[in-house]
Amino acid sequence: MKTAITIAAQEWRYWSRTKLASAVALLAFILICTSVFATFSQVAKEKDTRETLQIKAEETFRDQPARHPHRMVHYGHYVFRTPTSLAALDPGVDPFTGTVMFLEGHRQNSATFSPSYDGAQAGPFSRLTPALTYQLLLPLVLIVMGFGVVAREREAATDRQLVTSGISPISIWLGKTLALGSVAFLLLLPMLAGVALSESNWSIGLGFFALYFFYVLVWVLIITAVSTWSQRTSVSLLILLSIWLILCVLLPRLVAGAAATAIPDTSQIETDMDVIMALRSVGDGHNSRDPAFDRLKANLLQEYGVKRVEDLPINFRGAVAQAAEADLTAILNEYADKRIAGQRVQTQLVKSYEFVSPFIALQSASMVAAGTDARTHHRFLREAEAVRFQFVQDLNKVHEHKMAYVDDINRNRDTDAARRTRVDSENWRVLRDFRFNADPADTRLERLFSSYAVILIWLMVFAIAGLLGARRLPEVNHG
Amino acid sequence: MGSLFREIKFALKDRIVFICLIGVALLSTYSLVAGLQESASEHAMIERTNDLVTQDRQYNLAKQSDAGGAAYYSFHFAYDPPSSLAFVARGVRDDLPWKHRIRMLALEGQIYETDTGNPELSKIGKLDFAFVAAFLLPLLSILLLYDLRAIEIRNNRWAFLSITVGNGNRLLLSRAALRSGLLYISLIVPLIIIALFSGAGFSGTLLVAAAVALNCVFWCLLAYWVFTRIESGPTTAAILLGCWFFLAVAIPVGGKYAVEKSIKVPSGGEILLMQREAVNDAWDLPKKATMTPFFERHPQWANTADVTKPFEWKWYYAFQQVGDQTVEPLSQSLRSAIARRDKAMGLVSLASLPLLTERLLSQAARTDVASFQRYESCVRDFHQRLREFHYPMLFGEVEYSLEHMTQLPDFKPCL
Amino acid sequence: MKKITTIEAENLSITRAKKVVVKNLSFAVKQGEVFGLLGGNGAGKSTTLLAFLGFLTSTEGAARINGVEADVDPAATRRAIAYLPESANLYPHLSARENINYFLSLAKVKSSADDIEMALNQVSLAEEARDQRLSSYSKGMRQKVAIAVAILRQAPILFLDEPTSGLDPVAIDEFNRLITKLAKSGTTVLMVTHDVYGACQVADRIGLLRRGELVGMFEATNDARISVDEVHQAFASGA
Repeated sequence: MKTAITIAAQEWRYWSRTKLASAVALLAFILICTSVFATFSQVAKEKDTRETLQIKAEETFRDQPARHPHRMVHYGHYVFRTPTSLAALDPGVDPFTGTVMFLEGHRQNSATFSPSYDGAQAGPFSRLTPALTYQLLLPLVLIVMGFGVVAREREAATDRQLVTSGISPISIWLGKTLALGSVAFLLLLPMLAGVALSESNWSIGLGFFALYFFYVLVWVLIITAVSTWSQRTSVSLLILLSIWLILCVLLPRLVAGAAATAIPDTSQIETDMDVIMALRSVGDGHNSRDPAFDRLKANLLQEYGVKRVEDLPINFRGAVAQAAEADLTAILNEYADKRIAGQRVQTQLVKSYEFVSPFIALQSASMVAAGTDARTHHRFLREAEAVRFQFVQDLNKVHEHKMAYVDDINRNRDTDAARRTRVDSENWRVLRDFRFNADPADTRLERLFSSYAVILIWLMVFAIAGLLGARRLPEVNHG
Repeated sequence: MGSLFREIKFALKDRIVFICLIGVALLSTYSLVAGLQESASEHAMIERTNDLVTQDRQYNLAKQSDAGGAAYYSFHFAYDPPSSLAFVARGVRDDLPWKHRIRMLALEGQIYETDTGNPELSKIGKLDFAFVAAFLLPLLSILLLYDLRAIEIRNNRWAFLSITVGNGNRLLLSRAALRSGLLYISLIVPLIIIALFSGAGFSGTLLVAAAVALNCVFWCLLAYWVFTRIESGPTTAAILLGCWFFLAVAIPVGGKYAVEKSIKVPSGGEILLMQREAVNDAWDLPKKATMTPFFERHPQWANTADVTKPFEWKWYYAFQQVGDQTVEPLSQSLRSAIARRDKAMGLVSLASLPLLTERLLSQAARTDVASFQRYESCVRDFHQRLREFHYPMLFGEVEYSLEHMTQLPDFKPCL
Repeated sequence: MKKITTIEAENLSITRAKKVVVKNLSFAVKQGEVFGLLGGNGAGKSTTLLAFLGFLTSTEGAARINGVEADVDPAATRRAIAYLPESANLYPHLSARENINYFLSLAKVKSSADDIEMALNQVSLAEEARDQRLSSYSKGMRQKVAIAVAILRQAPILFLDEPTSGLDPVAIDEFNRLITKLAKSGTTVLMVTHDVYGACQVADRIGLLRRGELVGMFEATNDARISVDEVHQAFASGA
């Protein structure tokens, strides 16, 4: 171990004396700090805005004047998805999904106004979040600094000197890994600071940071392994750059493309049309004379022992609205679930390539840890839907119980009837508060287990590769 | 000519060059075929949906007894079909809407509906030809070129070579140009074949080829400039990668930040909220409050019968339009801000050739922001025509009949 | 035939990294002459060579090839020069024949297959190795291919930088004979070396370089080569 530390120290001295390495490390450090700081303040602001808007939307709804309850069904409500604390480091899918959702009767709207709607279009690398900086660029920085750690010694034949003076090849490899690993760790410090500042739950904060720590370590091991196996520094650099290009840039996109082709996502409009076709059997909730409601009518008449809907003690229209909304929602949910399930399979397919690319492994795990993955977004959609269904049905109950059927059917013609169908603003208190929270830390950590396992496998594979390469160190002929 | 042949043979004998070129040709082909498939599935989706929406409209229309109901239940499918070159660049087609199901209600409540797919896939990004040609090409150029001189120096060949040829740098320039040229060919030949096969426009394809050539030449010259000044290969590679990072990542990121900071857009959420308030408040306001601003836009109906009942269709559609009118300034400033942001990014892209290349490609593919805005105004025009068709019936100038409804405007994409 | 001066250093001074490496160096080599520039490590002999090849600019004075300063238009002056570096690694992915063809084509020299065979015979490269890639060659074999290229260039001036390092004794003898033959046919040869014995074998004149300055000059006569002992003594006395 002591020799390994000496070798690591030697490597540090080399870096401090080469302009290239010091410049690259310094620039990377500045870049990482900038990206952490910029994303941090942006997400904090965004969180603040959305929380304020959410409270405002709820107040506005509850402060509406007296009116017909069905009007409130259409007036609708807005829910906002507030970012999680770790979104400051990995915003995940946040910039790609709508952040606000309009909830109204008879419809499940999709979330609208993703930040990319009015954002300046700046190409594929325009969102340099701390997560992406670490996932994509840090490996490149480490490659530029470390491609030669062992290959350089081999090229200069200094490895022979080391080995013949009694230093084991393993300690050479260990020392080099230690040196590059310590650089990587230094570059991880801004991330650690970011985690400490943003996440108050230390277990998930640590779990998140550990992902990046291991990921960076995987790259350190890839680099030292390739450098150990390479006869020449130039070959080592070329191989490492190709690995980076394939694993971090090409493969994720290829896999994402394949997932989109293999499991085609139906468009929202197509889903809407399917729902409409399915709905023709359910009936239009606005029209209580729709034959689809005959059964409901017969049941109600029998239950209350009356002959005409006008004689029912309840407002038949309200009953119809409730029944129709329930049937409709069942169909909408069925299609929404189908779409979500499809996207889930797509995501799983991409994730299954974590065994091929550590980049893919980390990218999906990081979003899970930060609570910014598609799954969490889907939960947002479902929770928002629950809020929607609840307030619409509660309003429909008001519709059913707080007005006379006769007034209700005449309200479009008769001003007095219209006045009598208005209910008090008190009734708008049925709306529940909506606060979207990420899954609890324990749940997220549980989901991360498999990712840790995958990353540990990566660690072992490249550690072994490096060690095997180190064993060949002194034997190779330099030609 | 003989020396060109000599250098081609020389370059291709290098296994790394050969593998790289094959890889590029495969990538280029893959991206183009995937793009073609995407276009084809969009066309199929458009056709299918258009049929479904039309059928649904006819089904509903048959049941309507008045003009108001007919307008309320008539949905129209608006879309922007992929251009013949759309397979080259995906552009903003995954981020911004290109299809809508709209009806004669307030348009502002409908036009921002964006149908995005799986956000995790969007986050990863597409491997379209534009990505390969604009952002990957520089990286591949760097891989192929950074070591051109350093390897000669390392192997003690540089002086020998220079003396033999007279001017070693000139030889290296021709080698760099040749490798870049081969790279360009393996990228562009699949494009030309597929463009011919798919019937894409000649001038558009030429524009794409020219834009990619510019990118290719730039990286070749930049690599040459750096490697003739730096002796070490890794340092050359690091500097070139730094240039790539600066041009392809830092400038777009910084430019985006600056543009978004300096050109403010009204919040889309605010437009929706305001529009909703306007439309909903109308129910509780005196009818006059709706009809007066409506008649200001449509004085020809000002003398029609007053709205007396609590609900009348003409009043209903009037407040829908007034809802639109209320947010008109906001909506217009949103659109103009998007256009200004795009223009500003155009200026930024002059400092970043990869970004410029991507923009030129998506321009040629009609998948850029300008095309999106053209489509949006096309939808707005169509919605206006719908109103113009329905208002005479709602205000009693033309009598509602199923026969008259056959003249209902049909959405035609604006090309 | 009147012997004209082809290589000439006139008060040549070169500063590299703020250090004066070559100081006020003057000598002239005539056509058909073999001139050896002898010196130990850091004597400035390679720097002088690089100046003649046009890779370095003189700080003062001039390095001239055929009367033209070498750093003015290196591409033009280099046309007259063939150069053999200490260990020439030609392209390892090409065979000997391919390498020769490639370099001759670069130099815009046309040679028939027979010429090439003859040159390869002259450097005595094993027949069976000629179509094998250079990556399988030994250091000496690679050097032979480079020598063949230099011969085939048929340049009037030949620069040699420690040309025999890595060659076995038999090959060195062959090489020396080859140089002598080339000089006889009119080629001017400037050879940079620290090998006293090798220099004395072929050189008509030897300039001894120490810390960038010319400190001695030895000349062969019509009947005798330069004395190795004499040069060796001069060489060692300053060390």
